[in-house]
This record gives sequence, C-alpha cells and structure tokens, in this order.
Amino acid sequence: MSKPEDPMDRRHFLRLGGLAGAGALAVTAPVLAAEPNSADKQAIRYGMIIDLKRCVGCKACAAACKAENHTPPGVAYNIVMEEEVGTYPDVRRRFISRPCMHCATPSCTIVCPTKATHIRDDGIVAIDYNRCIGCRYCISACPYGVRAFDYGHNYHETATPYESQPSPEYGQNKKRNLKGNESPRGNVRKCHFCIHRVKKGLSPACASTCIANAIHFGNLNDPEGLCTVHGEKLRFLLATRDHLRLKEDLGNNPSVYYLT
Amino acid sequence: MGTNNNEGNALIRVIGYIVLIIVTAVGLWEMGAKFLNGPIDEGTTQLVTWGIWVSGYIFFLGLSAGSFLISTLIYVFGVRQLEEAGPAALVQALGCLLLGGALIVLDAGHPERMYMVLLYFNPTSVMAYMGLFYNVYIAIVVAEIYLVMRPAFVRNVQSGKRPTWLYRLLSLGSTRLDKESLVRDRKWMMVLGILGIPAAVIVHGGVGTIFAVAKARLNWLGGLFPLLFIVSALTSGGALLTFLTAAFGKMPRERKLKLVNFLAQLTIGFLLLDALITFADMFTTSYTAIPSGASTDKLVLFGPYKWIFWIVEVALGLVIPLFLVASPRTNKALGWLGLAGLLVVIGMLGARLTLVIPPQVTPLFEISIGAYNHIRYAYGYFPSTSDLLVMLGVFAIGIWMMLGARKYLPLDFEAHEGAQQGGDVTS
Repeated sequence: MSKPEDPMDRRHFLRLGGLAGAGALAVTAPVLAAEPNSADKQAIRYGMIIDLKRCVGCKACAAACKAENHTPPGVAYNIVMEEEVGTYPDVRRRFISRPCMHCATPSCTIVCPTKATHIRDDGIVAIDYNRCIGCRYCISACPYGVRAFDYGHNYHETATPYESQPSPEYGQNKKRNLKGNESPRGNVRKCHFCIHRVKKGLSPACASTCIANAIHFGNLNDPEGLCTVHGEKLRFLLATRDHLRLKEDLGNNPSVYYLT
Repeated sequence: MGTNNNEGNALIRVIGYIVLIIVTAVGLWEMGAKFLNGPIDEGTTQLVTWGIWVSGYIFFLGLSAGSFLISTLIYVFGVRQLEEAGPAALVQALGCLLLGGALIVLDAGHPERMYMVLLYFNPTSVMAYMGLFYNVYIAIVVAEIYLVMRPAFVRNVQSGKRPTWLYRLLSLGSTRLDKESLVRDRKWMMVLGILGIPAAVIVHGGVGTIFAVAKARLNWLGGLFPLLFIVSALTSGGALLTFLTAAFGKMPRERKLKLVNFLAQLTIGFLLLDALITFADMFTTSYTAIPSGASTDKLVLFGPYKWIFWIVEVALGLVIPLFLVASPRTNKALGWLGLAGLLVVIGMLGARLTLVIPPQVTPLFEISIGAYNHIRYAYGYFPSTSDLLVMLGVFAIGIWMMLGARKYLPLDFEAHEGAQQGGDVTS
C-alpha cells in the first residue's frame, strides 16, 4: 500500500502525466493555431507561375541561378527535372523547373531548432547563415527536396577568380573562404527568390533568364499584380489556365504554381 | 597448460590494447579533421543527409535512455532483483549519452554554434526541445551517479585508496557516512529518478518524434516512431547491461547468474515488443503500397539493406538471442546470456541504420535523379572512410570509458552494501 509520503502515489503520477500533456500541447498549439489562409492576408506574397507548356528544358534557369548566387558544386537551388512520357511514336519529354516552393506553411521553418530558417513578411523563406547550425533537419522535413547542404566543394586555398567573386545572396556579399569553417560552408542553403534582386526592382535570375518566357514572378496577393518580367496579370493566368501545385495534399500551401 | 593459457590471454590483451589505441588515435585524428576542414569528407548526400553518425547518435542515446530507465526500476520502483546492476546502469547511461553527444556535435555543419539552440530556442521545433532536455537529462544522470556512489567515494578517501585525489574530487568534499546521510541520499535518488523518467522519455521519445514529424518521409511519419524509440531504448539498454554485467560484473557466481538471467529476460520482453512495433510499422507502409513508403520497405527487405535487416537485425539481433535466453541448455550459463545481450545490442545498431538511412534513399521526386550531376546528388548512400573511422573511434572511446569506469568507479555491489542497508527508506 502506498503511503502518503510515497512519491510514487497515484496523485503524483497523475500530476506528472498532466504536466507532460501540457508540455506536448505547448509544442503543438502554435502549429494547430496557425491559420491556414493567413498568407492570403499579407500585403505581399511573392510567388512564381511556371508555364510547363512553354518550358523547353534548356535549363537556363538552373544555370542562371548558379551564376547569380555563386553556388559551389553540389549545391543547387533550382534544378530542372525531366521525364519521358509515353512510348515511341507517341512520346514526349516533360520538364519541371523546381525552385523553392516558398510555402506559406513551410515544413522547414517549424522544425528549425534555432529559427535560422524563417518565413519573411513577403512570403519568402530565407536562411540566416550566421544562425544555422547545419543539423539538416529542414532538409529531412522539406517534401520538395529544395534544400542543399553546403559540403564545401571548391572552396580552394587560393580561390580562382570566379570563386573569389562575392555572392550577392541576402546582400551579404560573402566570399568562399577556406579560413576555418566559415558560413555558408556547413550551412543549409536554398532558393530565396533572389531577394537581393527583388529589392532592386528586378526579378529572380531564373525568371529573367528563361528563354521561353515560361517563368512568371510577382506578388500573388495583389489583385492587379503583374509579372515583373513579362507584364502578364498573374491572377488572369491562374484564372484562365489549368494549374497545379506540387504535393498540394500535404498542406504546405506552396507559392509556386505550374500552368499545365 | 594453465601457464600457456595465461600467456595466450596476455598476448590477446596486448594485441587488443594495440588495436584499441590505433583505432582511438585514428578516430580522434578524423574528428579533428572534421572540425578543421568542415563537412567535405562526409559521405552523406543532399538526399541522404543523415548518415551513420545520426544512426550512431540515436543508437547511443537509446542505450543511455534505456539504461537510465532500467535504473529507475531500482531506485524509483524498488525492483530489488536488479539492485546490484544499478550503479553500472547509471554509469552506462552517462557514458552512452556522451558518446552520442559527440557524434551529433560532429554531424552538425557548425558544431561551434550548438549553444544557439538554447539561445534562439524555437518553440515549434522538436529538435530544440531535444537539445534542452538533453542537458536536463545529463544533469540528472550525473547527480544520480554522485548520490549512488558518494558513500563509496567517501570510504575510499578514508581508506586512502589510490588515486586518492580522484576520490576526493569525486566525493566533492563530502565526508558523512552516517545513516541519516544515506537515507537522505536515497530519498534524493528517488526524486531525481522520478524527474529523470520524463526527461529520458522526452529526450529519446523526442528523438523519435523528430523523425515522426518529418512529413516528407512516409516511413518516419506517424505515431509509432516515438513509441518505437522508447521501447528500443529499453531493449538496447537492458541488453548492454546484460552483456556488461555477465562479462565484467564482480559478484558471487550464483547471485550474478540470477541477476543476468533476470536482465536477459527483461531484455527479451522489450525486444519482442520492439519487434512487434517494427513489424506493425513496416506492414502498414508495405501493405498500403504508397510508392515512397513501399520503396523503402523494398530497399530494406530485398534491396541493398537486406543484409543488415535479415542477418544483423533478425538473425543476430532477434532469433539467436531469443533462442539463447529461452533454451534451458544455454540460459543457465553466464557466457551465453552475455552473448545474447551483446547480439541484441549489435542487432539494435543494425535497426538504427535501417531506420535512418533507407527512408531517405528514395528521392522525393523520382525524376529528380539525373537533374543535377554531382556526387552529392547521386542515388544511394555509403559512408565515407572518414565517417567509418570516426564511428569506430567513438566505439573505441566507449571501450576506454568502460575500462576506466570498471577500474576506478565503485560499480560492484560490495561497494554499496553499506549504503544499501542504511538507505532502505521504505523499510
């Protein structure tokens, strides 16, 4: 029989259980409380509309991204996925340019232990390089595989002229540096819709470069918002064309639409 | 004959130490290289970003949490049959915790920023909570070890046992051996044990939750993972304790056999539960055959990981230990029971590898393979030489820790008998 001073009596145990329950609720409450459509109420929500009918699979977007952001080998913000559909003679190739989806309810930001990766007021999911510990949890959590860990390839002792050019990312102008384990080496990196260009009124490098005018970029929350590259009305594109978003059933609410 | 045997043993010991020293030195060298050169030598890719170091981390953390929870059976729930394994279980909990911590610190791209997890704590991140409770848990384990060993330390100081400076340091200036102080120790042990249970469950169940909430990977996603992690922690903790007690515990043979037998049976019980949960988990993903989930099961059951699964996990880690503990021919021999414990631990390491790595191998978009040609975007994963050497180094350091603890810490029952009688608060 348990005595009153026995610390393992039932009341004690229930109290502990209650505490544990409250703790679990404290973790999930912010996730549950997050309003799914709150992103639609922001003044600015940058997004992309990629016209798959126009894409020819030249991969200029991926090359422009690399050149713009000086990403080392083994780090890619934008890739073009290819697929062959059908069998000869009824066959065609399909291409999907895949930047970061800049989800309105991202899987990556809620799991980051240090809030290094965060969602900005304009809907862009960015990374604070000085806060990222390189645990790669965000990579494991991202359903789109858009994140890349910088393993430090081509960080040479004597940098080549190309490597010694600073990367304009986030306006930080970081150079590849071999002294110690300096950022962004050892960090997770990702597409940031070329914030440094958008700030100047330009469009992301991939959208500007696209030879087929397939990548549109702009503020999805502005009812009159125009594509900053080609001037089409974004809402008109979405209203008149069939479109999809990748893995929409996961509830991440991506800001990248594909016109099919 | 006898002298021959002794000479043989001495030779084996010398060779063993030489190998251990080499493995430790190479492992430490590689760890240093990782700190200086960054993650360039790691074998992980952009798809499989968590490799054998993360597997090793959850392996060691599981061993730690399991050992600790078994110690609470003694100090909180008063399971007297296990009494003699208590100090060893606690020391094992601390040692494994440190080894796991070393691996996860190494795995981070910026180990020097680890403190930022506490500084910029993200309340929605399971990993942040794991970081917080890791520290709480380590403090509880250290405090418990101090309390359980304090009387023995004090006695060692008084009897002038060498190295005296070590015992003086470890006793933290305490000199009391009276009954009152022992009762007080015992009470605090219980309080810390009660606090430690949720801490250990949160730390290791939390690690399971880290995987369970990563919604990109179907094989991790779901409510079974946190439970599985806790059960396999108990399994591996019990198994290691069985092995180490059978191999190194110093107590009369009869008592030792009784203790090891109890530990082995406890371990098998947890092991069966673990196998059941693992089966349930694999069954649902393969039966529903959602491509991303089923492809992982294929990799594990018939693909490149089949050797780890069928040989290490199922044969070595489940069937043989089950037989060894169940069969009346083997379950009366310390050697066989100890071997069963060791095999379960090895099987659990295999289980950690198949748990962490295969779910990441299948790309999130099948057509993304070949979109970017670089080794870091290649399909599949195999650890690099550096990964393997660091891992071996960590195991070697673990062996050093164990040897040191066996030599200098009062792990055996005799050392605590006094505390035992004095500290029996419930009588």
